[in-house]
Amino acid sequence: MRKKGLGKTITSSIVRYKAAFAVFMMLVVMIFPRTNFYSVFNLLDMLNSASILMIVSFGLTLVILSGAIDLSGGGSLVLGGILTVHALSVMPMWLAILVGTLVGAVIGVVNGYIIVYQKTEPVIVTLGTSIILTGIAQQLTDAHPISPPPGSEFMMIGNGRLFGVIPYLVIIMLVVFVLFYILLRYTQFGRNIYAIGGDYEVAEYSGIDVKKIKAATYVLAGMTASFAGVLLSSKLNSASSIYGDQTALVVISGIVVGGTSLAGGVGGVGRSLVGLLVFAVMENAMSMLHVDSYIQQIIRGIVIVSILALDSYGRKRRREDV
Amino acid sequence: MTDTLRRVAREYLVLILVSCLVLMTAIIQPKFISIGNMTNVMRQFGPLIMVAMGMTFVIIGGYIDLSVAGIISLVGVVTLSLIEPIGQFPALLVGLLLGAAAGFLNSMVITLSGAMTQAEGLFISYGMSVLYGGAALMYTGGVTEHMSYLDANLSIFRMIGSGTVGVFSVSFLIFLGLLLVLYIFQKFTYIGRAISLTGGNKTAANLTGINVNKTIVIIWTISGFMAGVAAIVLFSRSTTASPVMGRGFDLNAIIAVVVGGTSLKGGKGSVARTVLGALLVILLANSMNLLGVTVYMQNVMKGSLLVLAIWLDNIKERRQGSDL
Repeated sequence: MRKKGLGKTITSSIVRYKAAFAVFMMLVVMIFPRTNFYSVFNLLDMLNSASILMIVSFGLTLVILSGAIDLSGGGSLVLGGILTVHALSVMPMWLAILVGTLVGAVIGVVNGYIIVYQKTEPVIVTLGTSIILTGIAQQLTDAHPISPPPGSEFMMIGNGRLFGVIPYLVIIMLVVFVLFYILLRYTQFGRNIYAIGGDYEVAEYSGIDVKKIKAATYVLAGMTASFAGVLLSSKLNSASSIYGDQTALVVISGIVVGGTSLAGGVGGVGRSLVGLLVFAVMENAMSMLHVDSYIQQIIRGIVIVSILALDSYGRKRRREDV
Repeated sequence: MTDTLRRVAREYLVLILVSCLVLMTAIIQPKFISIGNMTNVMRQFGPLIMVAMGMTFVIIGGYIDLSVAGIISLVGVVTLSLIEPIGQFPALLVGLLLGAAAGFLNSMVITLSGAMTQAEGLFISYGMSVLYGGAALMYTGGVTEHMSYLDANLSIFRMIGSGTVGVFSVSFLIFLGLLLVLYIFQKFTYIGRAISLTGGNKTAANLTGINVNKTIVIIWTISGFMAGVAAIVLFSRSTTASPVMGRGFDLNAIIAVVVGGTSLKGGKGSVARTVLGALLVILLANSMNLLGVTVYMQNVMKGSLLVLAIWLDNIKERRQGSDL
């Protein structure tokens, strides 16, 4: 065992908590320029917009923890929103929301069956299902944004604020977060996910029903994604097949920044929350500083590539250490 | 006999399915085989097939390249804008080099970070695509560039876009030349065969003395270069280059490779098969259009083809495993 110097300890803890560190650094930097960044309104608004992607990330984190991947989140998101908006004109609101959320569960069952029970590569299968879902969403809306019937209360979910201050979306996000946190930390199901991601075969030999659990993570990921889609449609008061174009990859990048490894077995929903906060703070800060939107896109690309490359590099180092 | 037949059916199932669909259209809708329609099909053939040929190498090598969309957009706008200031020949050269350089940059990120799995390569190349696409948007300020018709300095690009040699269009000859080179490279050179081994099993390839990193650099650079060629053919034909012109090429190219029968698990496949695959994908889109199927439902079909292909790959592998 090598002895660690103080410098090394600091570096390794920065690497470990890189997402929290990045958020902290950005918050410090934003003190200096004269912007409206540090207003209660802006900070809450930032959290509000990030909430939707955070909800997507909680379900997806489970899939990644089990060592798999799901790229169909964007498809589930748009389909959830579109079905809810369509359903609003024929049924009560709570039922429409339920319909929108359950469509994700159905998608998850299909993904889970093809990937887990037919043993296919999750990357390509979910890439395929995301194309299928986007196609269905386009067909349902003729590729135009659609709006809920006028006078509907639906909009209030995404735009209302508790006591006129705290956005409902933030509260909903926190509730979903707590549910997933408890699920991962204090239930057998959650611990089994870590076991499967850590070593699939060992988990299987120790009697865990690996297939059922892996398939269940896809169902949960589909449900959170389509539930997030319902919320997004409520916030924007519309649903469209293009809202999910970048969702899956942005969320996955956020999850990896947070410190959940694509190799599986390491991480958690708390880390995903912080990871997505990195993107939220970054985008908000760039807009506040009036960074050109095309440069913003380039920066986003650089950040995504660096994060994923660093994640791979970490695993390479570990492989070589062994 | 029946055994061989079954094996062929398993190997080429996607190909056979797509061929049947195309054949059906020809019967239902006679317009399909008219000369006008076929010329139209051959036109679209060019850029997609070039991207798909490059993509074949990446997929055989065990990766997936999502960055081609960004590369096409970037090479398109940069090359077109350079024709006036530096002349057509240097502009062409810069365009080709830029494509290869972008592919090379991808491979550098991948080899340096040690991203050995398909998923890692896919995410990194997606990030690179966002980056290249952003660069293209920034370069033009988001507007579409036009090739001016009055400029006498466009002969090369006019030739690529609409010139003919005998009965063949110039772009078809370019395609034929590239196919020949890539086919020979894949079948008859050491590196070409090393790609299949690398895609099949990286650890094993490494142990047999193959320089895996070098192979990875080569496949991504080929893919970037071919995306650059596609961009040039594309804007020569349409005489415009937009900073989002590459959108959709990534997935269509992957699907063309898969329909051709190259395994998405890496290790097996060929550029020649991809040519057939790309042709069928275009014929399929064309026949769906003639039958009045919406573009949206065509997307559903493409996604299904992808899922079906990987599913079949797995069934094949399991069968082969049990045969032993």
